[in-house]
Amino acid sequence: MGGTTLKYGGLKLIFLLFAVFALLPVLYTYLTALNGFESPGVLFSYQSFVLLFKSLIISFFVASLSTFFGIIFGFFLYKTQIKYALFFKVGFLLPLLISPYILAVSWSDTVFLLRGTGEPVSPVVLTVLVLTFIYTPLSVLIVGNAFSNIDTSLEESGLLMTSPYKVVFKIVLPLVKPAILASFILVFIFSVSEYSVPSYYGVKVITTEIFTRFSAFYNHSDAIMQSSVLLVVSVLLLVAEGKYLSDAPFLSVGSKGDVRKRYYFDKIKRVALTFITFWFLLTVVIPLIILIFQSLKNGMPDLWKAVELLRNTVITSLEVSFAGALLIFVTGFAAAYYVVYAKGGKRIKKLFNVTMLFLFALPSTVLGISFIVFYNRPVFDLIYSGMAIVVIGYWAKFSFISFKILENSMKQIPVSFDEAAIIEGVPAYKRIFNILTPLILPAVFAAFIFAFIFSFGELGTTITVHPPGTGLLPVKVFTVMANASQSLTSSMVLLEFSVSLILVVVLYLFYVILSEKYGNIRNKP
Amino acid sequence: MKYFYLFVVLVSVLFVSCKRDNNRVVVYTSVDQVFSEPVLKEFEKETGIKVEALYDTEEAKSTGVLNRIIAEKDNPRCDVFWSGDPVRVIVLKNRGLTQPYLSPEAKDIPEVFKDSSHYWTGFSARARVIIYNKKLLNGSDVPTSVFDFTKEKYKGKVAIANPLFGTTTFHIAALFTVLGNEKAMQYLNDLKRNDVIITTSNGDVKNKVLKGEAACGLTDTDDAFEAVKESNDVAYLFPDQYNGFGCLIMPNAVCLINGSPNTVNGKKLIDFLLSRKVEKMLAKSCAQMPLHKGVQVPKGIPQLDNIIPMKVDYNKAAGKLEKIQKTLKKWVEQL
Amino acid sequence: METSAINLENIFYGYGKTEVIKDLTLTINKNETTCILGSSGSGKTTLLRIISGLEIIRKGTVMINGKKVAENGKNLVSPDKRGLGFIFQDLALWPHFTVYKNIAFGLKVRKEKDVEEKVNGIAEVFGLTAQLKKYPSQLSGGQKQLVAIARSLVLQPEILLMDEPLANLDVKIKHGILEHIVRLKSDFNLTVVYVTHDHREAFSIADQVVVINNGRVEESGTVEQIKNSNNDYVKFFLEY
Repeated sequence: MGGTTLKYGGLKLIFLLFAVFALLPVLYTYLTALNGFESPGVLFSYQSFVLLFKSLIISFFVASLSTFFGIIFGFFLYKTQIKYALFFKVGFLLPLLISPYILAVSWSDTVFLLRGTGEPVSPVVLTVLVLTFIYTPLSVLIVGNAFSNIDTSLEESGLLMTSPYKVVFKIVLPLVKPAILASFILVFIFSVSEYSVPSYYGVKVITTEIFTRFSAFYNHSDAIMQSSVLLVVSVLLLVAEGKYLSDAPFLSVGSKGDVRKRYYFDKIKRVALTFITFWFLLTVVIPLIILIFQSLKNGMPDLWKAVELLRNTVITSLEVSFAGALLIFVTGFAAAYYVVYAKGGKRIKKLFNVTMLFLFALPSTVLGISFIVFYNRPVFDLIYSGMAIVVIGYWAKFSFISFKILENSMKQIPVSFDEAAIIEGVPAYKRIFNILTPLILPAVFAAFIFAFIFSFGELGTTITVHPPGTGLLPVKVFTVMANASQSLTSSMVLLEFSVSLILVVVLYLFYVILSEKYGNIRNKP
Repeated sequence: MKYFYLFVVLVSVLFVSCKRDNNRVVVYTSVDQVFSEPVLKEFEKETGIKVEALYDTEEAKSTGVLNRIIAEKDNPRCDVFWSGDPVRVIVLKNRGLTQPYLSPEAKDIPEVFKDSSHYWTGFSARARVIIYNKKLLNGSDVPTSVFDFTKEKYKGKVAIANPLFGTTTFHIAALFTVLGNEKAMQYLNDLKRNDVIITTSNGDVKNKVLKGEAACGLTDTDDAFEAVKESNDVAYLFPDQYNGFGCLIMPNAVCLINGSPNTVNGKKLIDFLLSRKVEKMLAKSCAQMPLHKGVQVPKGIPQLDNIIPMKVDYNKAAGKLEKIQKTLKKWVEQL
Repeated sequence: METSAINLENIFYGYGKTEVIKDLTLTINKNETTCILGSSGSGKTTLLRIISGLEIIRKGTVMINGKKVAENGKNLVSPDKRGLGFIFQDLALWPHFTVYKNIAFGLKVRKEKDVEEKVNGIAEVFGLTAQLKKYPSQLSGGQKQLVAIARSLVLQPEILLMDEPLANLDVKIKHGILEHIVRLKSDFNLTVVYVTHDHREAFSIADQVVVINNGRVEESGTVEQIKNSNNDYVKFFLEY
């Protein structure tokens, strides 16, 4: 069993499989689309540029706002002695369990309630706001996690010299720069490829345009080619990230396990708590109350009806998303490990990055259609006519998230921890399982749970590729919703939400047990 | 390598075995699942043929199923496509993705609702209706014609779904066919001048009227029917009954996919869908009007005999549709 | 018997277009303490990492106890089989392991017998018995230092590589540990390679001093020889 120096063969194999199963179909479809490309003009028309620009502007605002709030809330929740921090930490994540489309509907109801028929809020502003509400939890988690990993001594040495405020701005924030960037990139891509929210508010962006090409013109080639601009965007983002970080080795700063430094900003603590409570009410409590209120409007029958309708889909959905989450996690971990630990191989690292980012940024419909075009042939019957196609869909779509979360966390662990083990002759798998994993356990947990949750709620690709005669939860909710009463719709959404919530709680308990077992100092008094 | 074993396990997870029933039929449908599923279940019960259905919704503009049939053209998986309107089956027909089938059950269905070369057949129909909020409009304020929408008093109060999609697109195409390009375009521009509200779907038109965000709008009978059930504040009417222009009737349409893997069962399903029984079921569940004469319908469900239909050739309108799509897209984009 | 523990011959090392070590040749004697002295960026840490096998050289040969362990872009012997211990600048104590487990981990991985006895034995030598159940974050700087050294020595290496391990300690503790190192060297029959930028530290323990600058050896010799060196760079370096 492998020597101490990892050959990375296993990691590369995992990635190769990912490339074959997930990337190849898309590339193949692009090549075919290039053949049938009817109107190259669409790509370079003024109209396309305007749409792309609009998409980018919206995403830029969403990503900036989410990351900004992520920094603020992350700091208050993970770095100050604020009351009920744990409650808020968990509570903040709840919007992630509800699909963006539902939140869009719920928000438009709320805005309508608040403003009546008066001057309507600009749809673009509404889109930006709703997307920000949806993705801020992701930013809080990523940035907060990084805050808690900072080496205390770095902060303390700063605190000796200057005020806590200066330490935060001059030392702490620069130290979590990679996390801030990761948050920005993730949210940016999420927003760029998000279709349902802008579409619901009637905002024309690149994804709605692609959708129109599919559904009004049935023109696959044009739609697919138009989505290639997202490839360009992904690559540009990566280049920008690379320039900004320029692979700085100083990133290995945290010696985790040291008791976390917490600040005592007594003066602003109350303001912070008010702000956090306000945000929580606004983005979590209000939508939830609206949902609950609407689902119980007609009493319990609709809730039972929802249970009846969805019962058969829950287990299948859990199985499929679990399989997806496993693949996503393993791939994300392998890629992150390679990127952080392998020496050299810059090109391979970039390839990993670009591949996963591209698949993540691809609109779900394009991904789905690519999979159909590629996998719908007798050789792949086993994949195409079973749930495997859905699993691969999740795998393709969400590996980047796991990768980014894990990469970001691994970068904070000093390489010397691994090297000290190499010198002692600890084999690679033990270094991964006994040294690295326990140290990044929160990130491991986060990466897996995000993979699970996002897969569980994924609609766009699922609805395009799932085999006939099968029921998956989000698809069922969506297809039934079309003609259901508002109370039934809300009941179904509430159920979907509850299942996700239970899932998160179970995984969290599992995490607590694991971290106890590893004797992680961070959980000890 | 431990990874490797782990991965072998994972990959085998991927290839979850799939049980395959040989006596089966695969149907893709854009008719909402609440209504289509019971019909398909009934077919299963009656024939013992396993139905593997792929549902989509009007809300999703049927991107799922229709694009899927197109994407699957090299290796068709689907036997029968059951569409909520004739447009989509005609799109497939024009791309050579369907095959003709003359069902014995289609005999009694009026010619106008069938393809002359049997590529598709219509059944249970919906109509395009005006839905309005009783709190906001009553008495003579209620529009009775789609042409009323351009009047000053409805400025900013009318909602229609995005005309690029679904039944609305067909409605507009029908107007272009009947009125001619110039007049129809004029109508669209007048709508625009009157600040018409564009929603994502017909269901959304319904919701906007329900909530009073719009005073009235155009939607399909099933949505209107649902709205009336949900709230006492809304009502609907068939437009253009007094001016002779007529109201657009939209039948469901069904077709057999070219190269369908279970053709025999597919034909059986089509026969079943075109039966009186199904028309009765759909009349009951979603207020659709039977095309067969003499199908008993519940009270309150409109009947084709009592409505003046818009005189339109569906194949022509669908052909028109493909021609005006680009113009429509521009129209929408300039709103 | 061979008198040199480590032979580096015409070593080249770098990444991308950057050359960090350029044609460096150096011999380190057995059972002596060799201090590698240089300013930051001089390549001294890289040198240790090359000896240990954590970095792979582009050209040249690395020999340990007369055996070729690395040559022209290839590691012939993996780091754990070179019979050496490495004290990292940040010590690299695994924060989620207790002191006991930090010391025992390597032994267990190597499937050695009497792990508990060995750990207790070394803990006694270093006065760490009372700390075995603690986590690294609960120790003082000096104690962490000792744990790191104990963790290396429990595996009985012949060579101990130390990368500025005392940089963060106060003078008093530093002296204590320096004395300890000198004692260890004879007790454990060790060859010590000690990297530092502090010439006082180097002079107080070294048998041999090697001054490195810009990836090359400027001068090497005994403490006295270095102190009286005529080399401009060495003179300049000793002045500050």
